[in-house]
Amino acid sequence: MLSLSARNGHDPPAEMVPAMRPACLVVLLLFVTETQAAEPVAVDYRRDIRPVLAERCYACHGALAQKAKLRVDSGANMLKAGVIVPGKPDDSPLLLRVSSDDEAVRMPPEGHPLKPEQIEMLRRWIEQGAKVPEDDAEEPDPRDHWAFRSVVRPELPNVQSDHLPMRNPIDRFIAYEWQRRGLVPVKPADPRILLRRVYLDLIGLPPTPEQIEAFLNDPRPDAYERVVAALLSSPHYGERWGRHFLDIWRYSEWWGLGDELRNSQRHIWHWRDWVVESLNNDVGYDEMIRQMLAADELYPTDPQKLRATGYLARPYFLFNRTTWLDEVIEHTGKGFLGLTLNCGKCHDHKYDPFTQNDYYSYRAIFEPYQIRTDLVPGEPDVMKNGIPRVFDANLDAKTFFHIRGDERNPDKDRDIKPGLPRFLAPNGLAITPVALPPEAYQPLRRPEIAETYRKPLAARLQEARNRLLSLELAVAPAGFPFTLGVVLAYQGMLKVEAEQARLEAAIADPSKAPGEYRGTVKTKESNLDSDPQAKPLPETSTGRRSALAKWMTDPSNPLTARVAVNHVWLRHFGKPLVPTIFEFGRRGQPPTHPELLDWLAAEFMAHGWSLKHLHRLIVTSSVYRLSSWQAGTENNLRIDPENRYLWRMNSTRMEAEVVRDSLLHLAGELDPTQGGPPVPMAQQETSRRRSLYLFHSHNDHNKFLETFDAPNVLECYRRTESIVPQQALALWNSKFAMTMAEKILDRLHQRQADADDAAFVKAAFEMILGVPPSGEELSVCLETLEELRKVLADVPDAERTRRARFQIVQALLNHNDFITVR
Amino acid sequence: MASTDCSCRGMHRRAFLADLGMGFTGLALAAMLHRDGWVRAADPTGWRPPDGKPHFPPKAKSVIWLFMNGGVSHLETFDPKPALLQYAGKSINETPFKDVQNPDKLKLARVVVLNDANGQQRNKLFPMQVGFQKSGQSGIEISDWLPHLRECVDDIAVIRSMYTTDDNHGAQTQFHTGRHMLDGEFPTLGAWVHYGLGSLNDNLPQFISMGKREYWNLKDGHYLGPAHDAVPIRVDPNNPLDYGKPERPLKADEQRLGFQLTDRLNRLRGVEYPDDPALSARIQSYELAFRMQKSLPEVLDFSQETEETKQLYGLDRPETREFGMQLLASRRLVERGVRFIQIQHGAGGAGIWDAHGGLKANHEKNCLAVDKPIAGLLKDLKRTGLLKETIVVFATEFGRTPGSQGRDGRDHHIYGFSVWMAGGGIKGGVVHGATDEIGFHAVEHRHYVTDVHATILHLLGLDSRKLEVPGRKRLDIDHGNVIREILA
Repeated sequence: MLSLSARNGHDPPAEMVPAMRPACLVVLLLFVTETQAAEPVAVDYRRDIRPVLAERCYACHGALAQKAKLRVDSGANMLKAGVIVPGKPDDSPLLLRVSSDDEAVRMPPEGHPLKPEQIEMLRRWIEQGAKVPEDDAEEPDPRDHWAFRSVVRPELPNVQSDHLPMRNPIDRFIAYEWQRRGLVPVKPADPRILLRRVYLDLIGLPPTPEQIEAFLNDPRPDAYERVVAALLSSPHYGERWGRHFLDIWRYSEWWGLGDELRNSQRHIWHWRDWVVESLNNDVGYDEMIRQMLAADELYPTDPQKLRATGYLARPYFLFNRTTWLDEVIEHTGKGFLGLTLNCGKCHDHKYDPFTQNDYYSYRAIFEPYQIRTDLVPGEPDVMKNGIPRVFDANLDAKTFFHIRGDERNPDKDRDIKPGLPRFLAPNGLAITPVALPPEAYQPLRRPEIAETYRKPLAARLQEARNRLLSLELAVAPAGFPFTLGVVLAYQGMLKVEAEQARLEAAIADPSKAPGEYRGTVKTKESNLDSDPQAKPLPETSTGRRSALAKWMTDPSNPLTARVAVNHVWLRHFGKPLVPTIFEFGRRGQPPTHPELLDWLAAEFMAHGWSLKHLHRLIVTSSVYRLSSWQAGTENNLRIDPENRYLWRMNSTRMEAEVVRDSLLHLAGELDPTQGGPPVPMAQQETSRRRSLYLFHSHNDHNKFLETFDAPNVLECYRRTESIVPQQALALWNSKFAMTMAEKILDRLHQRQADADDAAFVKAAFEMILGVPPSGEELSVCLETLEELRKVLADVPDAERTRRARFQIVQALLNHNDFITVR
Repeated sequence: MASTDCSCRGMHRRAFLADLGMGFTGLALAAMLHRDGWVRAADPTGWRPPDGKPHFPPKAKSVIWLFMNGGVSHLETFDPKPALLQYAGKSINETPFKDVQNPDKLKLARVVVLNDANGQQRNKLFPMQVGFQKSGQSGIEISDWLPHLRECVDDIAVIRSMYTTDDNHGAQTQFHTGRHMLDGEFPTLGAWVHYGLGSLNDNLPQFISMGKREYWNLKDGHYLGPAHDAVPIRVDPNNPLDYGKPERPLKADEQRLGFQLTDRLNRLRGVEYPDDPALSARIQSYELAFRMQKSLPEVLDFSQETEETKQLYGLDRPETREFGMQLLASRRLVERGVRFIQIQHGAGGAGIWDAHGGLKANHEKNCLAVDKPIAGLLKDLKRTGLLKETIVVFATEFGRTPGSQGRDGRDHHIYGFSVWMAGGGIKGGVVHGATDEIGFHAVEHRHYVTDVHATILHLLGLDSRKLEVPGRKRLDIDHGNVIREILA
């Protein structure tokens, strides 16, 4: 049965030397023939020339920059500048420069020279008269790039569909493209499939058989909308979508070497909990950005909101500040703005109007910030708990321009001021320093923090006094009140009293509080920082980050909302509207549905950047409810094989966490506890918490989740959906999967104690896959049960059926349509 | 770490994988799917993933990659420097070689940990801690701590002129990926081979790792995807890989029927979703999983090996047993067509070879642990004919300083160190390149770590430039240069 026919009729993929020779010869012959035959073929400017110039020359000689006042981005520009002389390649400076052996002369000055075949192509093009098409035009102004123009809410297309109701504007924009392209949408998904889809999508857990039943039996016309509303108000929604955003925002528990913390921060989970709670409370996405980048300036005394700045505590890197800030720059750019700011580290951006100087100006926004851990009431030891958060520690920290991106080579003469690239922020960055309330820089002023120090000290003092008293009582009858033990106990008590006095002095004047009583503990700025507590905390903050956050979330910012709705769309449909998720610049790909993207962005902003509003719009559209079925859609497949225009739903694979959580949920084992410290590695095997709560860092990750492509903490704008045999082995053989299969079997039997095989199979299908079996599927299962009973002939009767049915449960958990969201 | 590959090129490949709804598997599923016509390029540039065929005729088909963690001293293994004896105890500045520390010559280092206790220049020359003997026809000098390897010297090409740029243990990563850790994370050589070449045995993973992996060097695939990570195995036929057998006992037929049921049900679903590449891939991956589960224990069962063979690898002695088992397993794996076997020796913390102090005791012990097994592997591969088509590489992250650290150790040294290669397509009995008189700088035929990669890929018939994926521009230094002088 499991024979693999794939090899039949195919050559082995790799042959050893002797067998390869003939093939190689063929390749050589082809090559020779091609070059000989290629001579007369006319060079096509658009196909052969322009892409090469665009790739290698436009960055300096196009719309972005005109070094030596030269543009080579159109035939006319080249002729005007005299860099080509049609018909005379050897008199054409362009050709001479790109083909020169002299490195001082050769263009382009960076990277490899052009390839010989590219140079040859240029030569022939000039020889053949340097022809360009009539509609040849120079590059448009980069500032006119679609993603850099403000969002304007587009008109809704006037479109009707014979196939589907136009439930909301999303349907109109999508249907408009169907009509334009001659696509016919598939039928709506079966209600059971739809229900499973929307459950997994919104809360990351499949519906139970009871929930399926209730939905199918709900006759109200808005039964589906009611389910959506219930799911969006479920606390599991925040866990599900929190994980999505934590992917983008690179959530990671701390890691290092042994006990030495090198990356991220201890207790970073406070930020994770803030994400989950904010989503559940439908805090606006704009407000979330503001809090993550600058809660310390905007809400300096609100510990709940300060948790948000864990976002900036995450990129911490003990050994190298530049690496740390490079990550901040790269991922605030990619994640919030869809800009590859990182390309400006060593040179001006090659595609977007963003200079290397802009890179360092952007860095300057973050230059003053450092990390500290604020005490949480009741826990004086920040190794045990505390809120890692950011604050501006070095208000005068200078930012240097690194020549060619090399930090060892700073340009001391250049004055780098915090700022933004002009094309996006023509008015610059409006920075106002923030005067902080005293509790912010002297947290000891908060009574609950003073109490946090007082309480254990008081307990210790009581203990020391008791000890002394008991020793005194013990020795009293002997008449020697001053035994060594008594003296030591007395000294011990005095020590605690002195500590207490120190604490009380600190509380009385928090500005003089010693490091251990500040109510906050600063993280080392680097491995060279021998006394991180030495400097007092500044009374002001530069206001740079809040200015950035304000600019980023201003409705006139063309990128933030577009990038956000694209992130969300990707996770609902399995495909983004802009395929290059973190590259909305000129090097990225355009949206498949530009008007839809803009409409969504406008709608999103108009509704207070509410993610729940966006989800509701999307999942209640007709498009979202389509089947993922593709049989009998030859016409569509011919026109749009990749389903770019959403004539059907995309099937997706469950993310790692959804696989594990769904198994727990179906087995009735899921521990719904929300929030708190992550489950340590050693307890994960037996933990029943949602996967979101398992300790996950660059160094430590759950093996089961890893098998199903757990997020890469360094960068994860989109999950990988690999299909590897180790996944099959994990789902079949792991203790976790087998235990869950066992529990699922128990539950099925509890529901229907006396079920015959057919009833059992039907119930198992409905529970695990959310749909009943087809007649054929049922008979295949019944057949297998029979065979299993034969194999298990020597097993006691009482156990035989159970063992056989266990295999059915396992087989269904390994079914393609368990791990697949249809 | 930040990925500063500055691809600036969009991300076609990722989109491609995601649009197909799949990645490619640890068992060269990519090549299989390609072979079976399932792969449709969705990339707008027309880019396609490799078809699993070499780009030109290969000289070898498999690689056994032995990596010594912590940094092996070249001065006590493959690169004798009598001048160290002569000037022992002298500061480098008092010797005729003082120019080696000319700051211009030290610019290679890209420091990760500023003012670290380790990774510094050590001035006081430290004498070689062991003698060297000429051996074999070629008369190559190898240290007295490697007597068995000496017997194979005519089969190996020693490269004495390696350099790298990370003066800390990120150099472990660097030797595998070609990039400094501050540049970000990149695919390892094994991942590239796995990505580029098809499967020679559809029952076994094509990229296997043995030995602990830690911190510096955890993964392989990186941007090529986790499907190109090595599959870690243990040399234990009863428990060779994670999830390799059911956690609770099942009859073989019982599980076979379960697997078979999944397969039949999936095929029925395939009627409904005829063009679903993920479904097809999943059906195949389940078949592969089932076969892999059966075939790995067999490969790792040494009961059919003779006592003589076991002794050849040092399985009879406690100090050589662990490494010997891994190397014998490697021979059995390459015999069955596994492409790339990556063995880490002494990973954990900084690595077992990291002799900042007590170098003599450290290296003597570590050499003892690897010497006989490696010689055994080379001899065994040779007598079975496998050496002709297998490349064996002995590598380490960096060498160790000519000067002493503390009383009796050597610090990290990136400016010159040794590795060797043997087997398919490699010239035996040669020394290539040289360091200066005190083993400080590689001065003749200098090679960056990616030159080793280039040489291996070349022998496997791969052109790394043709493997490049859209959106991930690689630099010249990533590709490296083939070390032609050591090719047979």
